[in-house]
Amino acid sequence: MTTKLETKALSAWFGRKQVLKGISIAFEEREVTALVGPSGCGKSTFIRCLNRMHELNPGGRVDGKVLLDGADIYGMDPMEVRRKIGMVFQKPNPFPNMSISDNVVAGIKLSGEKKKADLEGIAERALKSVGLYEEVKDDLRRSGASLSGGQQQRLCIARALAMEPEVILMDEPTSALDPASTSKIEELIRKLKSEITVIIITHNVSQAARISDKTAFLYLGELIEYGNTKEFFESPKSPITERYITGRFG
Amino acid sequence: MVVVFFFIMIFGMLLIRSFPAMARDPLMIFGSTWDVEAGIFGAAPAIIGTLVSSSIAILFAVPISLAIAVFFTEYAPSQIRTGLSVVIDMLATIPSVIFGIWGLWIVAPLMKTFVQEPISGSLGFIPIFSGPAYGLSLLLASVILTFMIVPIITSISISLLSSTPVELREAMISLGATRWEVVRHVALPFSKLGIFAAVMLALGRALGETMAVTMVIGNSFMWPFSSISIFSPASTLTSKIASELYEAIDPFHVSSLIELGFLLLMITLSVNSLARLIVSRYSQRRYGT
Ligand SMILES: Nc1ncnc2c1ncn2[C@@H]1O[C@H](COP(=O)(O)OP(=O)(O)OP(=O)(O)O)[C@@H](O)[C@H]1O
Ligand SMILES: [Mg+2]
Repeated sequence: MTTKLETKALSAWFGRKQVLKGISIAFEEREVTALVGPSGCGKSTFIRCLNRMHELNPGGRVDGKVLLDGADIYGMDPMEVRRKIGMVFQKPNPFPNMSISDNVVAGIKLSGEKKKADLEGIAERALKSVGLYEEVKDDLRRSGASLSGGQQQRLCIARALAMEPEVILMDEPTSALDPASTSKIEELIRKLKSEITVIIITHNVSQAARISDKTAFLYLGELIEYGNTKEFFESPKSPITERYITGRFG
Repeated sequence: MVVVFFFIMIFGMLLIRSFPAMARDPLMIFGSTWDVEAGIFGAAPAIIGTLVSSSIAILFAVPISLAIAVFFTEYAPSQIRTGLSVVIDMLATIPSVIFGIWGLWIVAPLMKTFVQEPISGSLGFIPIFSGPAYGLSLLLASVILTFMIVPIITSISISLLSSTPVELREAMISLGATRWEVVRHVALPFSKLGIFAAVMLALGRALGETMAVTMVIGNSFMWPFSSISIFSPASTLTSKIASELYEAIDPFHVSSLIELGFLLLMITLSVNSLARLIVSRYSQRRYGT
Protein backbone atom coordinates (compact mmCIF):
# COMPACT_ATOMS: atom_id res chain seq x y z
CA MET A 1 0.00 0.00 0.00
CA THR A 2 1.32 3.42 -0.90
CA THR A 3 -0.02 6.73 0.24
CA LYS A 4 -1.42 8.81 -2.60
CA LEU A 5 -2.66 11.89 -0.82
CA GLU A 6 -1.92 12.99 2.69
CA THR A 7 -2.79 15.98 4.86
CA LYS A 8 -0.64 17.19 7.72
CA ALA A 9 -2.17 19.38 10.41
CA LEU A 10 -4.61 20.82 7.90
CA SER A 11 -6.65 23.72 9.23
CA ALA A 12 -9.09 25.94 7.36
CA TRP A 13 -10.97 29.14 8.08
CA PHE A 14 -13.86 31.15 6.73
CA GLY A 15 -12.82 34.64 7.78
CA ARG A 16 -12.12 34.31 11.48
CA LYS A 17 -14.16 31.17 11.91
CA GLN A 18 -11.99 28.07 12.07
CA VAL A 19 -13.75 25.17 10.36
CA LEU A 20 -11.00 22.52 10.24
CA LYS A 21 -8.71 21.96 13.19
CA GLY A 22 -5.44 20.28 12.35
CA ILE A 23 -6.52 17.23 10.36
CA SER A 24 -3.82 14.67 9.53
CA ILE A 25 -4.92 11.78 7.39
CA ALA A 26 -3.38 9.59 4.66
CA PHE A 27 -5.36 8.25 1.72
CA GLU A 28 -4.12 5.03 0.12
CA GLU A 29 -3.65 4.70 -3.59
CA ARG A 30 -6.49 2.93 -5.43
CA GLU A 31 -8.81 2.80 -2.49
CA VAL A 32 -12.17 4.34 -1.82
CA THR A 33 -12.26 6.41 1.33
CA ALA A 34 -15.58 7.61 2.67
CA LEU A 35 -15.85 10.78 4.73
CA VAL A 36 -18.79 10.88 7.09
CA GLY A 37 -19.93 13.22 9.80
CA PRO A 38 -22.85 15.38 10.85
CA SER A 39 -23.91 18.34 8.77
CA GLY A 40 -21.63 21.34 9.15
CA CYS A 41 -18.68 19.36 10.53
CA GLY A 42 -16.44 20.51 7.69
CA LYS A 43 -16.49 17.63 5.17
CA SER A 44 -17.00 19.80 2.12
CA THR A 45 -14.48 22.34 3.33
CA PHE A 46 -12.00 19.52 3.85
CA ILE A 47 -12.18 18.09 0.36
CA ARG A 48 -12.17 21.57 -1.13
CA CYS A 49 -8.80 22.07 0.54
CA LEU A 50 -7.55 19.01 -1.32
CA ASN A 51 -7.94 20.60 -4.75
CA ARG A 52 -7.34 24.18 -3.68
CA MET A 53 -10.95 25.28 -4.11
CA HIS A 54 -11.39 26.45 -0.52
CA GLU A 55 -9.02 29.38 -0.98
CA LEU A 56 -11.36 30.79 -3.66
CA ASN A 57 -14.01 31.61 -1.06
CA PRO A 58 -13.86 35.19 0.16
CA GLY A 59 -12.05 34.88 3.48
CA GLY A 60 -11.11 31.25 2.79
CA ARG A 61 -7.74 30.41 4.34
CA VAL A 62 -5.78 27.18 4.67
CA ASP A 63 -2.89 26.17 6.90
CA GLY A 64 -0.91 22.91 7.04
CA LYS A 65 0.21 20.60 4.27
CA VAL A 66 -1.49 18.55 1.57
CA LEU A 67 0.91 16.12 -0.07
CA LEU A 68 0.22 14.48 -3.41
CA ASP A 69 2.80 11.74 -3.93
CA GLY A 70 4.83 13.50 -1.27
CA ALA A 71 4.79 16.97 -2.90
CA ASP A 72 2.88 19.82 -1.27
CA ILE A 73 0.06 20.93 -3.56
CA TYR A 74 0.15 24.36 -1.94
CA GLY A 75 3.52 24.83 -3.58
CA MET A 76 2.16 23.96 -7.03
CA ASP A 77 0.15 25.80 -9.64
CA PRO A 78 -3.49 25.47 -8.51
CA MET A 79 -4.70 24.81 -12.08
CA GLU A 80 -2.24 21.94 -12.35
CA VAL A 81 -3.43 20.54 -9.00
CA ARG A 82 -7.05 20.58 -10.15
CA ARG A 83 -6.19 18.74 -13.33
CA LYS A 84 -4.65 15.95 -11.25
CA ILE A 85 -7.31 15.93 -8.56
CA GLY A 86 -10.78 15.94 -10.08
CA MET A 87 -14.03 16.82 -8.38
CA VAL A 88 -17.68 15.82 -8.60
CA PHE A 89 -20.24 18.02 -6.87
CA GLN A 90 -23.40 17.36 -4.91
CA LYS A 91 -25.68 18.89 -7.49
CA PRO A 92 -25.07 17.70 -11.07
CA ASN A 93 -23.65 20.71 -12.89
CA PRO A 94 -23.21 20.05 -16.62
CA PHE A 95 -22.56 23.17 -18.72
CA PRO A 96 -25.98 24.02 -20.20
CA ASN A 97 -24.52 25.79 -23.22
CA MET A 98 -22.52 22.72 -24.27
CA SER A 99 -23.48 19.46 -25.90
CA ILE A 100 -23.00 16.14 -24.15
CA SER A 101 -19.68 15.47 -25.83
CA ASP A 102 -18.45 19.05 -25.38
CA ASN A 103 -19.24 18.73 -21.70
CA VAL A 104 -17.09 15.63 -21.41
CA VAL A 105 -14.09 17.21 -23.13
CA ALA A 106 -14.49 20.71 -21.65
CA GLY A 107 -11.47 20.24 -19.37
CA ILE A 108 -9.34 18.52 -21.99
CA LYS A 109 -9.92 21.38 -24.38
CA LEU A 110 -8.63 23.79 -21.75
CA SER A 111 -5.39 21.88 -21.48
CA GLY A 112 -4.84 22.34 -25.18
CA GLU A 113 -6.10 19.15 -26.80
CA LYS A 114 -7.76 20.34 -29.98
CA LYS A 115 -7.90 17.58 -32.62
CA LYS A 116 -11.49 16.71 -33.30
CA ALA A 117 -10.97 12.99 -33.76
CA ASP A 118 -9.00 12.70 -30.53
CA LEU A 119 -11.63 14.62 -28.62
CA GLU A 120 -14.37 12.37 -29.96
CA GLY A 121 -12.41 9.32 -28.90
CA ILE A 122 -11.87 10.71 -25.42
CA ALA A 123 -15.54 11.62 -25.08
CA GLU A 124 -16.64 8.17 -26.17
CA ARG A 125 -14.28 6.39 -23.79
CA ALA A 126 -15.25 8.56 -20.83
CA LEU A 127 -18.96 8.12 -21.53
CA LYS A 128 -18.49 4.36 -21.79
CA SER A 129 -16.62 4.23 -18.51
CA VAL A 130 -19.60 5.76 -16.70
CA GLY A 131 -22.06 3.57 -18.60
CA LEU A 132 -23.71 6.51 -20.29
CA TYR A 133 -22.57 5.94 -23.85
CA GLU A 134 -25.26 3.44 -24.82
CA GLU A 135 -27.96 5.73 -23.45
CA VAL A 136 -26.88 8.87 -25.31
CA LYS A 137 -24.90 7.75 -28.34
CA ASP A 138 -27.71 8.54 -30.79
CA ASP A 139 -27.49 12.22 -30.10
CA LEU A 140 -24.24 13.41 -28.62
CA ARG A 141 -24.89 16.96 -29.85
CA ARG A 142 -27.80 17.32 -27.44
CA SER A 143 -27.33 19.69 -24.53
CA GLY A 144 -25.93 18.16 -21.36
CA ALA A 145 -28.76 19.81 -19.45
CA SER A 146 -31.38 17.79 -21.34
CA LEU A 147 -30.44 14.57 -19.52
CA SER A 148 -32.07 13.19 -16.38
CA GLY A 149 -30.50 14.04 -13.02
CA GLY A 150 -28.76 10.69 -12.72
CA GLN A 151 -27.46 10.86 -16.27
CA GLN A 152 -26.26 14.40 -15.66
CA GLN A 153 -24.30 13.27 -12.64
CA ARG A 154 -22.70 10.46 -14.61
CA LEU A 155 -21.90 13.00 -17.31
CA CYS A 156 -20.15 15.11 -14.68
CA ILE A 157 -18.19 12.09 -13.52
CA ALA A 158 -17.22 11.38 -17.14
CA ARG A 159 -16.12 15.01 -17.46
CA ALA A 160 -13.85 14.62 -14.45
CA LEU A 161 -12.54 11.21 -15.61
CA ALA A 162 -11.73 12.50 -19.08
CA MET A 163 -8.92 14.51 -17.48
CA GLU A 164 -7.39 11.22 -16.31
CA PRO A 165 -7.02 12.49 -12.77
CA GLU A 166 -5.01 10.60 -10.17
CA VAL A 167 -7.50 11.31 -7.43
CA ILE A 168 -11.20 12.05 -7.63
CA LEU A 169 -13.09 13.91 -4.91
CA MET A 170 -16.85 13.48 -4.65
CA ASP A 171 -19.07 15.62 -2.47
CA GLU A 172 -22.28 13.66 -1.77
CA PRO A 173 -22.57 12.73 -5.46
CA THR A 174 -25.79 10.76 -5.02
CA SER A 175 -27.69 12.81 -2.47
CA ALA A 176 -29.78 14.49 -5.18
CA LEU A 177 -30.53 11.26 -7.05
CA ASP A 178 -33.10 8.46 -7.08
CA PRO A 179 -32.17 4.96 -5.81
CA ALA A 180 -31.63 3.47 -9.27
CA SER A 181 -29.21 6.21 -10.32
CA THR A 182 -27.55 5.97 -6.93
CA SER A 183 -26.79 2.30 -7.30
CA LYS A 184 -25.40 2.85 -10.78
CA ILE A 185 -23.00 5.43 -9.42
CA GLU A 186 -22.04 3.24 -6.46
CA GLU A 187 -21.20 0.45 -8.84
CA LEU A 188 -19.15 2.88 -10.91
CA ILE A 189 -17.19 4.00 -7.87
CA ARG A 190 -16.31 0.40 -6.98
CA LYS A 191 -15.05 -0.06 -10.53
CA LEU A 192 -13.09 3.20 -10.52
CA LYS A 193 -10.78 2.24 -7.73
CA SER A 194 -8.87 -0.20 -9.91
CA GLU A 195 -7.42 2.91 -11.49
CA ILE A 196 -7.72 5.90 -9.24
CA THR A 197 -7.98 7.01 -5.65
CA VAL A 198 -11.48 8.01 -4.63
CA ILE A 199 -12.46 10.21 -1.70
CA ILE A 200 -16.19 10.46 -1.24
CA ILE A 201 -18.35 12.39 1.20
CA THR A 202 -21.61 10.75 2.09
CA HIS A 203 -24.43 11.39 4.50
CA ASN A 204 -25.54 7.88 4.12
CA VAL A 205 -23.70 5.50 6.46
CA SER A 206 -24.88 2.42 4.67
CA GLN A 207 -23.54 3.83 1.42
CA ALA A 208 -20.17 4.32 3.09
CA ALA A 209 -20.30 0.71 4.29
CA ARG A 210 -21.19 -0.56 0.80
CA ILE A 211 -18.58 1.20 -1.27
CA SER A 212 -15.57 2.20 0.79
CA ASP A 213 -12.37 0.52 1.90
CA LYS A 214 -11.73 3.04 4.63
CA THR A 215 -13.96 5.42 6.47
CA ALA A 216 -13.11 8.67 8.22
CA PHE A 217 -15.38 10.38 10.71
CA LEU A 218 -15.20 14.15 11.10
CA TYR A 219 -16.83 15.97 13.95
CA LEU A 220 -16.69 19.74 14.57
CA GLY A 221 -13.73 20.15 12.30
CA GLU A 222 -11.68 17.34 13.84
CA LEU A 223 -10.87 13.86 12.65
CA ILE A 224 -12.35 11.59 15.30
CA GLU A 225 -11.80 8.19 13.81
CA TYR A 226 -10.28 6.66 10.68
CA GLY A 227 -9.86 3.02 9.76
CA ASN A 228 -10.95 0.08 7.67
CA THR A 229 -14.61 0.40 6.89
CA LYS A 230 -15.46 -3.02 8.29
CA GLU A 231 -13.86 -2.31 11.67
CA PHE A 232 -15.13 1.25 11.63
CA PHE A 233 -18.71 0.04 11.55
CA GLU A 234 -18.35 -3.17 13.57
CA SER A 235 -16.21 -1.90 16.40
CA PRO A 236 -15.89 1.86 16.50
CA LYS A 237 -13.31 3.03 18.97
CA SER A 238 -14.82 6.36 19.88
CA PRO A 239 -18.20 6.67 21.61
CA ILE A 240 -19.03 9.67 19.37
CA THR A 241 -18.49 7.54 16.27
CA GLU A 242 -20.70 4.86 17.68
CA ARG A 243 -23.45 7.35 18.38
CA TYR A 244 -23.15 8.69 14.84
CA ILE A 245 -23.30 5.33 13.06
CA THR A 246 -26.17 4.08 15.12
CA GLY A 247 -28.10 7.15 14.07
CA ARG A 248 -28.48 8.74 17.49
CA PHE A 249 -27.22 12.01 16.09
CA GLY A 250 -28.52 15.06 14.32
CA MET B 1 -53.60 48.68 -22.31
CA VAL B 2 -53.15 52.37 -21.69
CA VAL B 3 -49.68 52.07 -23.16
CA VAL B 4 -51.00 50.49 -26.34
CA PHE B 5 -53.62 53.18 -26.70
CA PHE B 6 -51.06 55.88 -26.14
CA PHE B 7 -48.77 54.32 -28.66
CA ILE B 8 -51.45 54.07 -31.32
CA MET B 9 -52.27 57.71 -30.68
CA ILE B 10 -48.67 58.81 -31.28
CA PHE B 11 -48.39 56.57 -34.28
CA GLY B 12 -51.62 57.93 -35.76
CA MET B 13 -50.66 61.52 -35.08
CA LEU B 14 -47.31 61.09 -36.84
CA LEU B 15 -48.94 59.37 -39.74
CA ILE B 16 -51.64 62.02 -40.20
CA ARG B 17 -49.28 64.96 -39.85
CA SER B 18 -46.75 63.52 -42.26
CA PHE B 19 -49.45 62.57 -44.76
CA PRO B 20 -49.22 65.72 -46.93
CA ALA B 21 -45.53 65.11 -47.63
CA MET B 22 -46.00 61.39 -48.19
CA ALA B 23 -48.97 61.93 -50.49
CA ARG B 24 -47.16 64.49 -52.58
CA ASP B 25 -44.22 62.24 -53.32
CA PRO B 26 -43.75 59.10 -51.23
CA LEU B 27 -40.15 58.59 -52.33
CA MET B 28 -38.97 62.17 -52.04
CA ILE B 29 -37.88 61.74 -48.42
CA PHE B 30 -35.25 59.23 -49.51
CA GLY B 31 -33.58 61.69 -51.86
CA SER B 32 -30.30 63.41 -51.03
CA THR B 33 -31.25 67.07 -51.38
CA TRP B 34 -33.00 69.11 -48.70
CA ASP B 35 -33.81 72.53 -50.08
CA VAL B 36 -36.52 74.43 -48.23
CA GLU B 37 -36.75 77.26 -50.78
CA ALA B 38 -37.14 74.85 -53.69
CA GLY B 39 -39.55 72.71 -51.69
CA ILE B 40 -37.37 69.60 -52.01
CA PHE B 41 -37.19 67.48 -48.90
CA GLY B 42 -34.88 64.50 -49.32
CA ALA B 43 -33.40 63.24 -46.08
CA ALA B 44 -31.22 60.28 -47.05
CA PRO B 45 -28.14 61.82 -45.34
CA ALA B 46 -30.04 62.09 -42.07
CA ILE B 47 -31.41 58.56 -42.31
CA ILE B 48 -27.99 57.13 -43.05
CA GLY B 49 -26.44 59.41 -40.42
CA THR B 50 -28.74 58.02 -37.76
CA LEU B 51 -27.96 54.44 -38.66
CA VAL B 52 -24.22 54.94 -39.03
CA SER B 53 -23.58 57.14 -35.98
CA SER B 54 -25.46 54.67 -33.78
CA SER B 55 -23.72 51.66 -35.29
CA ILE B 56 -20.29 53.18 -34.73
CA ALA B 57 -21.27 53.97 -31.15
CA ILE B 58 -22.35 50.36 -30.62
CA LEU B 59 -19.10 49.15 -32.18
CA PHE B 60 -17.14 51.23 -29.68
CA ALA B 61 -19.39 50.66 -26.71
CA VAL B 62 -19.74 46.86 -26.77
CA PRO B 63 -16.07 45.96 -26.24
CA ILE B 64 -15.56 48.78 -23.73
CA SER B 65 -18.64 47.80 -21.72
CA LEU B 66 -17.79 44.11 -21.74
CA ALA B 67 -14.24 44.81 -20.67
CA ILE B 68 -15.45 46.94 -17.76
CA ALA B 69 -18.11 44.42 -16.79
CA VAL B 70 -15.70 41.47 -16.86
CA PHE B 71 -13.07 43.41 -14.93
CA PHE B 72 -15.72 44.46 -12.43
CA THR B 73 -17.22 41.04 -11.76
CA GLU B 74 -14.17 38.83 -12.09
CA TYR B 75 -11.03 40.73 -11.27
CA ALA B 76 -11.63 43.96 -9.35
CA PRO B 77 -11.02 44.03 -5.60
CA SER B 78 -14.12 45.06 -3.66
CA GLN B 79 -12.99 48.66 -2.92
CA ILE B 80 -12.52 49.38 -6.62
CA ARG B 81 -15.84 47.71 -7.31
CA THR B 82 -17.75 50.11 -5.06
CA GLY B 83 -16.06 53.12 -6.64
CA LEU B 84 -16.65 51.86 -10.15
CA SER B 85 -20.33 51.17 -9.63
CA VAL B 86 -20.84 54.71 -8.30
CA VAL B 87 -19.17 56.10 -11.43
CA ILE B 88 -21.27 53.92 -13.74
CA ASP B 89 -24.50 54.92 -12.02
CA MET B 90 -23.54 58.58 -12.10
CA LEU B 91 -22.70 58.44 -15.78
CA ALA B 92 -26.16 57.03 -16.46
CA THR B 93 -27.86 59.98 -14.77
CA ILE B 94 -26.06 62.79 -16.61
CA PRO B 95 -28.60 64.75 -18.71
CA SER B 96 -27.84 64.58 -22.39
CA VAL B 97 -27.49 68.35 -22.77
CA ILE B 98 -24.53 68.13 -20.38
CA PHE B 99 -23.00 65.45 -22.59
CA GLY B 100 -23.52 67.87 -25.48
CA ILE B 101 -21.75 70.77 -23.74
CA TRP B 102 -18.92 68.50 -22.65
CA GLY B 103 -18.59 67.12 -26.16
CA LEU B 104 -18.56 70.58 -27.68
CA TRP B 105 -16.06 72.21 -25.34
CA ILE B 106 -13.83 69.40 -24.21
CA VAL B 107 -14.03 66.34 -26.41
CA ALA B 108 -14.24 68.19 -29.75
CA PRO B 109 -10.92 70.08 -29.43
CA LEU B 110 -9.18 67.05 -27.92
CA MET B 111 -10.38 64.81 -30.72
CA LYS B 112 -9.42 67.34 -33.33
CA THR B 113 -5.81 67.46 -32.18
CA PHE B 114 -5.30 63.91 -30.99
CA VAL B 115 -7.50 61.83 -33.28
CA GLN B 116 -8.66 63.58 -36.44
CA GLU B 117 -5.47 65.39 -37.39
CA PRO B 118 -3.06 62.48 -36.85
CA ILE B 119 -5.36 59.98 -38.56
CA SER B 120 -6.25 62.11 -41.57
CA GLY B 121 -2.58 63.08 -41.75
CA SER B 122 -1.43 59.48 -42.05
CA LEU B 123 -4.44 57.57 -43.34
CA GLY B 124 -6.06 60.44 -45.22
CA PHE B 125 -5.79 58.61 -48.52
CA ILE B 126 -8.61 56.34 -47.32
CA PRO B 127 -11.82 58.24 -48.11
CA ILE B 128 -13.51 57.68 -44.76
CA PHE B 129 -10.53 59.27 -42.96
CA SER B 130 -9.92 62.06 -45.45
CA GLY B 131 -10.54 65.77 -45.42
CA PRO B 132 -10.09 68.69 -43.06
CA ALA B 133 -10.95 68.30 -39.39
CA TYR B 134 -13.86 70.57 -38.59
CA GLY B 135 -14.24 69.65 -34.97
CA LEU B 136 -17.92 68.88 -35.17
CA SER B 137 -18.32 65.54 -36.89
CA LEU B 138 -20.03 62.23 -37.28
CA LEU B 139 -17.25 60.59 -35.30
CA LEU B 140 -17.62 63.08 -32.44
CA ALA B 141 -21.34 62.31 -32.27
CA SER B 142 -20.56 58.59 -32.20
CA VAL B 143 -18.04 59.09 -29.40
CA ILE B 144 -20.49 61.09 -27.30
CA LEU B 145 -23.15 58.45 -27.94
CA THR B 146 -20.63 55.82 -26.84
CA PHE B 147 -20.23 57.56 -23.49
CA MET B 148 -23.99 57.68 -23.13
CA ILE B 149 -24.64 54.01 -23.81
CA VAL B 150 -21.62 52.41 -22.14
CA PRO B 151 -23.28 52.71 -18.69
CA ILE B 152 -26.41 50.95 -19.99
CA ILE B 153 -24.59 47.96 -21.44
CA THR B 154 -22.10 47.81 -18.60
CA SER B 155 -24.54 47.80 -15.73
CA ILE B 156 -26.80 45.18 -17.31
CA SER B 157 -23.79 43.02 -18.21
CA ILE B 158 -22.49 43.26 -14.66
CA SER B 159 -25.72 42.00 -13.21
CA LEU B 160 -25.87 39.18 -15.75
CA LEU B 161 -22.28 38.07 -15.29
CA SER B 162 -22.55 38.14 -11.53
CA SER B 163 -25.69 36.02 -11.61
CA THR B 164 -23.83 33.16 -13.31
CA PRO B 165 -24.51 30.10 -11.12
CA VAL B 166 -21.66 29.34 -8.73
CA GLU B 167 -22.03 25.61 -9.49
CA LEU B 168 -21.15 26.21 -13.13
CA ARG B 169 -18.20 28.40 -12.26
CA GLU B 170 -16.92 25.81 -9.81
CA ALA B 171 -17.37 23.02 -12.34
CA MET B 172 -15.10 24.89 -14.74
CA ILE B 173 -12.57 25.78 -12.02
CA SER B 174 -12.40 22.15 -10.90
CA LEU B 175 -11.30 21.20 -14.41
CA GLY B 176 -8.24 23.41 -14.07
CA ALA B 177 -9.63 26.54 -15.74
CA THR B 178 -8.04 29.94 -15.25
CA ARG B 179 -10.17 32.94 -14.32
CA TRP B 180 -10.32 34.04 -17.91
CA GLU B 181 -11.37 30.56 -19.06
CA VAL B 182 -14.21 30.64 -16.55
CA VAL B 183 -15.35 33.97 -18.02
CA ARG B 184 -14.93 32.75 -21.57
CA HIS B 185 -16.57 29.34 -21.26
CA VAL B 186 -19.10 29.84 -18.48
CA ALA B 187 -19.97 33.43 -17.57
CA LEU B 188 -20.11 34.93 -21.07
CA PRO B 189 -22.09 32.07 -22.67
CA PHE B 190 -24.47 32.17 -19.72
CA SER B 191 -25.01 35.93 -20.16
CA LYS B 192 -24.80 36.36 -23.91
CA LEU B 193 -28.50 36.53 -24.67
CA GLY B 194 -29.06 39.14 -21.99
CA ILE B 195 -26.05 41.10 -23.17
CA PHE B 196 -27.48 41.06 -26.68
CA ALA B 197 -30.75 42.46 -25.34
CA ALA B 198 -28.83 45.16 -23.47
CA VAL B 199 -26.99 46.11 -26.65
CA MET B 200 -30.29 46.44 -28.49
CA LEU B 201 -31.66 48.61 -25.72
CA ALA B 202 -28.58 50.79 -26.03
CA LEU B 203 -28.96 50.91 -29.81
CA GLY B 204 -32.53 52.14 -29.38
CA ARG B 205 -31.26 54.82 -27.05
CA ALA B 206 -28.52 55.87 -29.48
CA LEU B 207 -30.86 55.99 -32.48
CA GLY B 208 -33.28 58.25 -30.65
CA GLU B 209 -30.77 60.46 -28.82
CA THR B 210 -31.41 64.05 -29.81
CA MET B 211 -29.91 66.78 -27.68
CA ALA B 212 -26.28 65.73 -27.43
CA VAL B 213 -26.14 64.61 -31.06
CA THR B 214 -27.68 67.81 -32.38
CA MET B 215 -25.10 69.81 -30.45
CA VAL B 216 -22.02 67.97 -31.72
CA ILE B 217 -22.75 66.52 -35.14
CA GLY B 218 -22.61 69.80 -37.06
CA ASN B 219 -25.98 69.12 -38.64
CA SER B 220 -24.81 69.25 -42.23
CA PHE B 221 -25.97 67.35 -45.27
CA MET B 222 -22.47 67.14 -46.80
CA TRP B 223 -22.06 63.65 -45.33
CA PRO B 224 -22.18 61.06 -46.87
CA PHE B 225 -22.69 62.27 -50.45
CA SER B 226 -20.15 65.11 -50.83
CA SER B 227 -17.74 63.74 -48.25
CA ILE B 228 -17.77 60.25 -46.88
CA SER B 229 -15.20 61.02 -44.17
CA ILE B 230 -16.20 60.25 -40.59
CA PHE B 231 -14.50 63.54 -39.65
CA SER B 232 -16.99 65.48 -41.67
CA PRO B 233 -20.04 67.16 -40.10
CA ALA B 234 -23.17 65.10 -40.66
CA SER B 235 -26.76 64.91 -39.52
CA THR B 236 -29.26 62.50 -38.05
CA LEU B 237 -33.04 62.29 -38.12
CA THR B 238 -33.13 63.68 -34.62
CA SER B 239 -30.73 66.55 -35.29
CA LYS B 240 -32.65 67.50 -38.41
CA ILE B 241 -35.99 67.58 -36.64
CA ALA B 242 -34.68 69.35 -33.54
CA SER B 243 -32.90 72.06 -35.45
CA GLU B 244 -35.61 72.89 -37.98
CA LEU B 245 -39.03 72.12 -36.63
CA TYR B 246 -39.49 75.35 -34.65
CA GLU B 247 -38.67 77.58 -37.63
CA ALA B 248 -40.47 75.66 -40.35
CA ILE B 249 -43.33 77.56 -41.98
CA ASP B 250 -43.95 75.81 -45.28
CA PRO B 251 -46.52 73.07 -44.53
CA PHE B 252 -44.58 70.57 -46.63
CA HIS B 253 -41.45 71.36 -44.65
CA VAL B 254 -43.26 70.69 -41.38
CA SER B 255 -44.87 67.61 -42.77
CA SER B 256 -41.54 66.28 -44.06
CA LEU B 257 -39.93 66.79 -40.66
CA ILE B 258 -42.74 64.86 -39.05
CA GLU B 259 -42.27 62.17 -41.62
CA LEU B 260 -38.67 61.94 -40.41
CA GLY B 261 -40.03 61.40 -36.91
CA PHE B 262 -42.24 58.66 -38.27
CA LEU B 263 -39.25 57.03 -39.96
CA LEU B 264 -37.25 57.19 -36.74
CA LEU B 265 -40.08 55.51 -34.89
CA MET B 266 -40.22 52.80 -37.54
CA ILE B 267 -36.48 52.22 -37.24
CA THR B 268 -36.44 51.95 -33.45
CA LEU B 269 -39.55 49.81 -33.56
CA SER B 270 -38.03 47.35 -36.00
CA VAL B 271 -34.78 47.16 -34.03
CA ASN B 272 -36.82 46.41 -30.95
CA SER B 273 -39.00 43.74 -32.59
CA LEU B 274 -36.04 42.10 -34.27
CA ALA B 275 -34.25 41.94 -30.92
CA ARG B 276 -37.30 40.42 -29.27
CA LEU B 277 -37.61 37.86 -32.01
CA ILE B 278 -33.98 36.82 -31.70
CA VAL B 279 -34.09 36.67 -27.91
CA SER B 280 -37.21 34.54 -27.83
CA ARG B 281 -35.88 32.31 -30.59
CA TYR B 282 -32.67 31.64 -28.71
CA SER B 283 -34.07 31.41 -25.25
CA GLN B 284 -36.24 28.54 -26.46
CA ARG B 285 -33.22 26.85 -27.91
CA ARG B 286 -31.03 27.77 -25.01
CA TYR B 287 -30.54 24.17 -24.02
CA GLY B 288 -30.01 22.98 -27.57
CA THR B 289 -26.77 23.32 -29.40
N1 LIG C 1 -19.08 30.40 2.56
C1 LIG C 1 -19.03 30.21 3.91
N2 LIG C 1 -18.81 31.26 4.72
C2 LIG C 1 -18.76 31.10 6.05
N3 LIG C 1 -18.90 29.91 6.67
C3 LIG C 1 -19.12 28.82 5.92
C4 LIG C 1 -19.20 28.91 4.49
N4 LIG C 1 -19.43 27.68 3.99
C5 LIG C 1 -19.48 26.86 5.06
N5 LIG C 1 -19.30 27.53 6.23
C6 LIG C 1 -19.28 26.95 7.57
O1 LIG C 1 -18.23 26.03 7.65
C7 LIG C 1 -18.62 24.91 8.40
C8 LIG C 1 -18.33 23.65 7.61
O2 LIG C 1 -19.10 23.65 6.43
P1 LIG C 1 -19.05 22.45 5.40
O3 LIG C 1 -19.84 22.87 4.23
O4 LIG C 1 -17.64 22.07 5.19
O5 LIG C 1 -19.79 21.29 6.19
P2 LIG C 1 -20.24 19.86 5.67
O6 LIG C 1 -19.69 18.91 6.63
O7 LIG C 1 -19.91 19.69 4.26
O8 LIG C 1 -21.80 19.95 5.86
P3 LIG C 1 -22.94 19.24 5.00
O9 LIG C 1 -22.93 17.82 5.41
O10 LIG C 1 -24.18 19.92 5.42
O11 LIG C 1 -22.61 19.44 3.57
C9 LIG C 1 -20.08 25.08 8.73
O12 LIG C 1 -20.17 25.48 10.08
C10 LIG C 1 -20.56 26.17 7.83
O13 LIG C 1 -21.50 26.97 8.49
MG1 LIG D 1 -21.07 19.53 2.42
